[in-house]
Amino acid sequence: MAKKYGMIHDNNLCIGCQACSIACRSENEIPESVYRLQVWVKEEEYPNGTIGYEYHRQSCVQCENTPCVGVCPTKASHITEEGIVLVDVDLCVGCLYCVAACPYQARYVHPVTKAPDKCTFCHDTRLARGEEPACVTVCPTDALIFGDLNDPKSKINQALSSRVTYREKEKLGTNPKMFIVPNHKGGINS
Amino acid sequence: MTQMLSRRGFLKLSSTAAAVASLSSIPGTLGAMEESQKHYKGNAKFTPSICEMCTSSCTIEARVEDGKGVFIRGNPADKGRGGKVCARGGSGFNQLYDPQRLVHPIMRVGERGEGKWKVVSWDEAYTFIAKKLDEIKQKHGAHTVAFTARSGWNKTWFHNLAQAYGSPNLFGHEATCPLAYDLAMDDIFENGVSRDFAKAKYIINPSHNVFEGIVISYARQYMEALEHGAKVISLDPRLSTMAAKASEWHPIRPGHDLPFVLAFIHTLINENLYNKKFVEKYCEGFDELKASVAEYTPEKMALECDISADTIKRMAREFAKAAPKAIFDFCHRVTLTPQELELRRAIMMCNVLVGAVEQEGGYYLNKGAGFYNKFLGEGDAKAPVLKKPKIPAYPKVEFPRIDRIGEKDSEFFLAKKGNGIVTLIPKATLEDLPGVPYRLHGWFIARNNPVMTQTNTETVIKAIKAMDLVVVMDIQVSDTAWYADIVLPDTTYLERDEEFNAGGGKNPSYDVGRQKVVEPIGESRPGWRVAKELAEKMGLSAYFPYKDIEDYRLQQVGDNIDLLAKLKATGMASFGVPLLLQDKKSVAEFVKKYPSAASKVNEEGTIDFPHKIKLFSPELETVSKKGALSYEPYKYKEADELYFINGKSAVRTNGHNGNNLWLNNLCDDAAVWIHPKTAERLGIKNGDKIEVSNKYATQKGKALVTKGVREDTVFAYFGFGHISKELKRAYGKGVNSNTLYSPLVSPNSGMNLHVVGVKVKKA
Ligand code: SF4
Ligand code: SF4
Ligand code: SF4
Ligand code: SF4
Repeated sequence: MAKKYGMIHDNNLCIGCQACSIACRSENEIPESVYRLQVWVKEEEYPNGTIGYEYHRQSCVQCENTPCVGVCPTKASHITEEGIVLVDVDLCVGCLYCVAACPYQARYVHPVTKAPDKCTFCHDTRLARGEEPACVTVCPTDALIFGDLNDPKSKINQALSSRVTYREKEKLGTNPKMFIVPNHKGGINS
Repeated sequence: MTQMLSRRGFLKLSSTAAAVASLSSIPGTLGAMEESQKHYKGNAKFTPSICEMCTSSCTIEARVEDGKGVFIRGNPADKGRGGKVCARGGSGFNQLYDPQRLVHPIMRVGERGEGKWKVVSWDEAYTFIAKKLDEIKQKHGAHTVAFTARSGWNKTWFHNLAQAYGSPNLFGHEATCPLAYDLAMDDIFENGVSRDFAKAKYIINPSHNVFEGIVISYARQYMEALEHGAKVISLDPRLSTMAAKASEWHPIRPGHDLPFVLAFIHTLINENLYNKKFVEKYCEGFDELKASVAEYTPEKMALECDISADTIKRMAREFAKAAPKAIFDFCHRVTLTPQELELRRAIMMCNVLVGAVEQEGGYYLNKGAGFYNKFLGEGDAKAPVLKKPKIPAYPKVEFPRIDRIGEKDSEFFLAKKGNGIVTLIPKATLEDLPGVPYRLHGWFIARNNPVMTQTNTETVIKAIKAMDLVVVMDIQVSDTAWYADIVLPDTTYLERDEEFNAGGGKNPSYDVGRQKVVEPIGESRPGWRVAKELAEKMGLSAYFPYKDIEDYRLQQVGDNIDLLAKLKATGMASFGVPLLLQDKKSVAEFVKKYPSAASKVNEEGTIDFPHKIKLFSPELETVSKKGALSYEPYKYKEADELYFINGKSAVRTNGHNGNNLWLNNLCDDAAVWIHPKTAERLGIKNGDKIEVSNKYATQKGKALVTKGVREDTVFAYFGFGHISKELKRAYGKGVNSNTLYSPLVSPNSGMNLHVVGVKVKKA
């Protein structure tokens, strides 16, 4: 069976340190004015009266039902056999339908190629070399877990079976492959 | 950075990016070099080295492709750090290729701080410095020149140069940072100690924010402890990331950690929660301690620290119950106070009292080769000891150091000469210090930025301006370099080899020091070379008996070629098996490996401490009558003022890498945290421009209204509001905390104060 790559972002383990964001910039040569990945930090008041921080990973969530691919007139936006959504710069006509269609605001226009771009799970760089995505490699507290969802023994499946997770905007039916472990302090315990 | 990295902050990023891209054009910078001269030669494989984006010195690996820095990651061979780096570590190549970095020596041509420079050759630079140093020597004596360099950042070379020249005034950066706890552990344990956070069941953390002032191994260990269900108590006036992750957050009154700890000890003793057997067998000074804390009841101290007596008592009981898997974290920085040494000693004593030392999940002694080898008998393999090249005797100095370390009645006698009390330099330049029959006339500063990192910035600048010679060696025109006479371009850590380092945790370990990933760019030169060449100019070459760093390293390892090869290939090496003296299992395993150590094992199957642990310090008693613990209330602020405190950001390091393009883009402003109620009272709304002022300075900033700070306190990240106009990205952005702090140098520890009173109003 083909691989199906997914990722977990654990809000309990994330410290908002931005190592992932910098590693992504470094590995994928992301121009200064744009980003594929950031972690947004927000102060939160929990029902029990305590306050804390919530960490939101802002990046492509690698939908299985992909609005961005659906609207692309030239097939420049496409999904690989391993479930990674990519943009073929040569086929792109710059209509930016995909940018508008993405409900996760994950796409930006690359200032040099002028084509839409976004997180690729490091498809061309690290996965091609048999390594994990850059963000996962550096995360100091192991808040990111990456792996093959089709392999029952993979790290990601083990983590999914032991931690409570949700996915963003699940109602839209996009079926993201980015899983989020909510903060226990938010009152949800695994 | 927490709230600052909110969505709004990020969206702003795209607009600042354009401005930031404008290249530096001052003479001597990389940006001013001709394109054709910028060729980068490097290794396409991963080279193991040591990060220098902060002082934690993580083991890393860096890769270069087609002459361009590609990726920095943690060294996977380093289990403690799990092969990880932080955002700062990941931005290292930005420092290397920064057009604003200095790659030629530059000499001041205008007034100090005017920003007028000319490029000079290395030879001109050496000639100038040698001549000036000689003039000062003739006129005032060599002892009037202070030399400051940080460990692992050129200290070996420039301290060597200083002593060859004839100055006893050697300094590190320690007194602005870890010195108080270093002194406390030397006094109590006669040894360095570490904390085994990962295995602890109960941790009290007084503002040690390892998730923002990142130390990767600590961050991982704390996270592991939390994941295993350990209880972590954060005492912090503001909601740091650590406080947010902790099981409980108690916003303690700034600068009042000591009364909390004294009440804690009071409870441990009065409720008989301490480990009598341990204390009797291994400690001295218990009776004195008991007497000295008798008056510090939780009820009384609660009023000082603003944490209820019941809470203090509950924590002491929980702590004792969890022992020996209990850690009262002696922490880093906190809200530095006049009683730093007392505070760190008191904290460490909590662990001692419950016997949580040399145990899993508690404190343990750092075991370097010397310590470790003592437990090995004849015939067993010993951990190697690194050697130093033989240097002729330094000229004798008749004058005391400015901090008078080494003299019996010096209040700083506990400090080591290689660290010194660097915070005294401005005072020693501007006024006569008791027992010091001279003032300072010169300052040689290698990779240290006192203008940014010492408190009361104005005094530091005033002192620098009063000097006859100020030399700075740095990779950029730092805030201190801005006022220098001559600035020498250091190599970044990715361009230089360094000496090997010996360390020790539960067993001895070694690391490669730094290893070159690319050839030095422009005219930048590493410290070992500059010190040696300058010494040659001054006729002191006998004090540098090595050809180059390779030769130096060879002399370090002696005939241990295996160690040399291992360090170069993997970046690190460790010897023997871990040893925890009070852990039977660990001792048994140690003896199995080294049978001759069996003679050290006592009837309980553990190993006795090599020295008594001191709960009372006879030395401190002699010098300052402070052998026992005591609390002296200190007035930080007036009634109508707010406490001002600072802390570390996860994406910028103190005074050092705020100008780094990527890091600056992530966080370029230190907003001032202010509680909603206080903000309302002052008519301030989130994002408003505000003015923070006191008798020392006025700073302009931006308000961040948040419940994550006490009502009587405002907070800002440290390392902002840079003063050097050559740090074009970081210049003037954000509140500069150190301008607001008082110039007080804490007795005995030499630390600066990091709590002060301020008034805040809408600008
Ligand atoms: S590197 Fe890890 S901990 Fe840091 S912000 Fe990214 S996900 Fe969070
Ligand atoms: S997150 Fe956006 S860009 Fe990524 S796959 Fe889904 S729709 Fe496409
Ligand atoms: S998977 Fe790769 S491209 Fe995606 S965010 Fe992580 S590092 Fe960036
Ligand atoms: S904590 Fe970060 S900046 Fe500091 S040494 Fe480690 S990787 Fe480098």
